[in-house]
Amino acid sequence: MNTNLKISNVTKIYPGCVANDNISLEFNSGKIYALLGENGAGKSTLVKILSGVIIPDEGKIYLNENNLKLNSPLDAKKNDIGMVFQHFNLFETLSVFENLIIDSDEQRESVREKIDAIMKKYNFSVDLDIPVLNLSAGQKQKVEIIRCLIRSPKVLIMDEPTSVLTEQETSELFLSLKKFSDEGILIIYITHKLKEVMQLCDEVAVMRRGKLVSVSEIKNENIESLANKMVGQNLKTIKKKKAKTSSDQLIKITNLNFTSEDPFETNLMDINFSVNRGECLGIAGISGNGQSELFQVLSGEIISEKNSIEFNNNYIGDLSPQERREYLMAFSPEDRLEQAAIPQMKIFENVALNNFKSSNFFNNGLINENKIKEHSKKIISDFNVNTDNIELKSQFLSGGNLQKLIIGRELITSPDLLICFNPTWGLDVGAINYIHETLIKINEQNKSIILISTDTDELLKLSDKISVIHKGKLSKIMNSEEVTSEKLGILMGGAN
Amino acid sequence: MIKIVKRDQPSRAIFFFTPVLAIILTLVAGGLIFFILGFKPFEALKFFFIVPIADKYGFSELLLKATPLCLIAIGLSFCFKSNNWNIGAEGQLTFGAIVSGGVALLFYEQEGFYILPTVILAGAIGGMLYASIPAILKTYFNTNEILVSLMLVYVSKLILDYLVVGPWSNPEGFNFPETRQFSDSAKLPLLFEGLRIHAGIFLALAAVVISWFVFYKTYLGFQMKVSGFSLKTAKYAGYKGKKMIILVFLISGACAGLAGVGEITGPIGQLHREISPDYGFTAIIVAFLGRLHPVGIIFASLVVAITYLGAETAQIFMQIPKYTGQVFQGMILFFLLASDYLLFFKIKFIGLKK
Ligand SMILES: Nc1ncnc2c1ncn2[C@@H]1O[C@H](COP(=O)(O)OP(=O)(O)OP(=O)(O)O)[C@@H](O)[C@H]1O
Ligand SMILES: [Mg+2]
Repeated sequence: MNTNLKISNVTKIYPGCVANDNISLEFNSGKIYALLGENGAGKSTLVKILSGVIIPDEGKIYLNENNLKLNSPLDAKKNDIGMVFQHFNLFETLSVFENLIIDSDEQRESVREKIDAIMKKYNFSVDLDIPVLNLSAGQKQKVEIIRCLIRSPKVLIMDEPTSVLTEQETSELFLSLKKFSDEGILIIYITHKLKEVMQLCDEVAVMRRGKLVSVSEIKNENIESLANKMVGQNLKTIKKKKAKTSSDQLIKITNLNFTSEDPFETNLMDINFSVNRGECLGIAGISGNGQSELFQVLSGEIISEKNSIEFNNNYIGDLSPQERREYLMAFSPEDRLEQAAIPQMKIFENVALNNFKSSNFFNNGLINENKIKEHSKKIISDFNVNTDNIELKSQFLSGGNLQKLIIGRELITSPDLLICFNPTWGLDVGAINYIHETLIKINEQNKSIILISTDTDELLKLSDKISVIHKGKLSKIMNSEEVTSEKLGILMGGAN
Repeated sequence: MIKIVKRDQPSRAIFFFTPVLAIILTLVAGGLIFFILGFKPFEALKFFFIVPIADKYGFSELLLKATPLCLIAIGLSFCFKSNNWNIGAEGQLTFGAIVSGGVALLFYEQEGFYILPTVILAGAIGGMLYASIPAILKTYFNTNEILVSLMLVYVSKLILDYLVVGPWSNPEGFNFPETRQFSDSAKLPLLFEGLRIHAGIFLALAAVVISWFVFYKTYLGFQMKVSGFSLKTAKYAGYKGKKMIILVFLISGACAGLAGVGEITGPIGQLHREISPDYGFTAIIVAFLGRLHPVGIIFASLVVAITYLGAETAQIFMQIPKYTGQVFQGMILFFLLASDYLLFFKIKFIGLKK
């Protein structure tokens, strides 16, 4: 059966910003549609309207010629519209299975069979009986996808589903999506990865600042043309000039071990590496192999033995993140909504989370609001966060803009060492370019970076040295010139 | 036609309007209940809300009741703002009263300027100790603070019962379940001749000012807010997240303990079984009615204190059981929670628009 979904003259206005400006679009099953646009272009808003989360100010939605009344997510589910959101919507303390059956009224056993069948069919493997908080980002994403599939939807919307998946996982997902599409499910796919669009989609719609700027067939497009449509100008390609390697050591990790009490966390085993000034060390790996633990050990959220981390000739293994900031380290964690920022707080309050040495945000225990606000304004303008209202709660920033705010907050302190974990997750090509440029600039200023990333292209582009983490162990450290993405792929799979 | 629409962002005005709406609705519903029970609604409401505070004595009684409510609610706002659900203030009040009462009894028939401060301090420490139990269990053993703090209320009441009946009971007291009267040096000074209002009100006002300052102006307040939203973020920022949880419980326990001290060294003057008409529980309503804002809490404690007084006058003049006071407190909370719906949704009258 054919499915036809029509968006007609949809407008959604927020105070100070038109998120969707009179958008009309039509989709037919049998094709996979891509929705592209810069951070804050209004993509999530549009698909949230389709899934009943946001109610538009004007406009109508038709499914097979029927005008849908989508006043709540439930209405969308009833009309067979399923959506995987950009940010996880899972109950962390419940088990995977409980999360999956939470909105289902079927028998537990029959749902379990259904889930098993889905996992088998599409090659997903997630342990159903462990709490969600112990899953890696990639696995959480899978749970979200399974949750949609249980309801055998007519329309499946995915808002950046691959931001956290590895290349391998992504291509598996694509096979599944193609299968869904052949089975008659209409697929709308939001991403910032243009390569994926070329690989997966049949048609592409591009949005810019709330407006629909083009609809075209993929076969008439290429990566450059899409990027230009999104940003409205030509993107320069950036390349790192490989600097002469300095031999001035900044940080040295010696025999670092971490054994977790939590059986679902990854133990770190015998980690040894060092980073020189002006160098970028990339750490590749499939998500869930100890990256998050390594990040926490380096940031001081997990304390280790004093002598295991030597920074600038000081032993700092037992210091807290706050104390490490005093030594000019900065940290940008992976999870922006749960860890790096507090969505319910205002932008300037989130800026104050990085209370670095010379900030003067808090004098004698008192808040210095003017100082924080002044500093926030600088971050917003330096890092192109698309708002000028620092009193805005940060939950109202689009995903990419929040990430820019966080990266900006960490970089503006000009740290000696930046440790970042998936710093461009969910960013548009323009923003990625900008962050990458900034990271390169840091290296040029003789400052160092430890870049933990699941994006191999990013690693190859930015790193001077690369190592791969697998099951909590680091591979030997390689010069990035001698590494190819194939070689990394093999190491990430666990081979030697 | 009426349509309900989700708000994009809860407005600040509605945030402070809904408590007022809740009070109005409570009055309407209260009138209705009186009517059903066969009383003239306006007259009954007058006896309940106006008569009791119409004269100087009545007004001083209002302040007397509002004092512990305000003090406890201020303490609770530290917990609630940071997402810690301490509902055992009644227990912390009781335990604070026990400790300070014990100290006061040590100074039986003694004089000295140092006695009162010692007694007050003891009460604060008692409340803190008692609040530290749910806090430590929460931070180190992941227990649910709601259950633990609530259950400890009953434990504290039983301890008090045991003490006033047993070891601490007045030897000359004909086996009444009460202790000796405290010496004058262990009592809070009265503010006016002939009225029961005592210096404890200054403790409450000080708590209001200090809490406002701590919450909105200090690094500590900022850290508490962050820790309340997300322990993970607090850890990333480098705050001592667990310490923060313990700290808010301690502050809240200290306030409840002080409220206990105010009662036993103020109007009561000794320890007995009924030292608090559930101030610790009612203060939860006060905290929310006041929107966890120090100034809001002052107003809320006055409003809720009336329900205590009104229940008494209504009982005397109209033979209405005094438990109606609790009915009113319940209704306030009920309507507050109900009207909070308006924080997130607005009602549109579509028919009116052409
Ligand atoms: N509740 C809100 N109040 C005010 N502005 C909002 C609100 N929700 C979204 N916005 C704004 O609307 C615009 C569109 O946001 P949206 O989330 O749709 O962007 P997006 O295209 O999905 O971006 P990204 O790629 O970063 O996810 C942004 O500028 C955002 O700041
Ligand atoms: Mg989005």
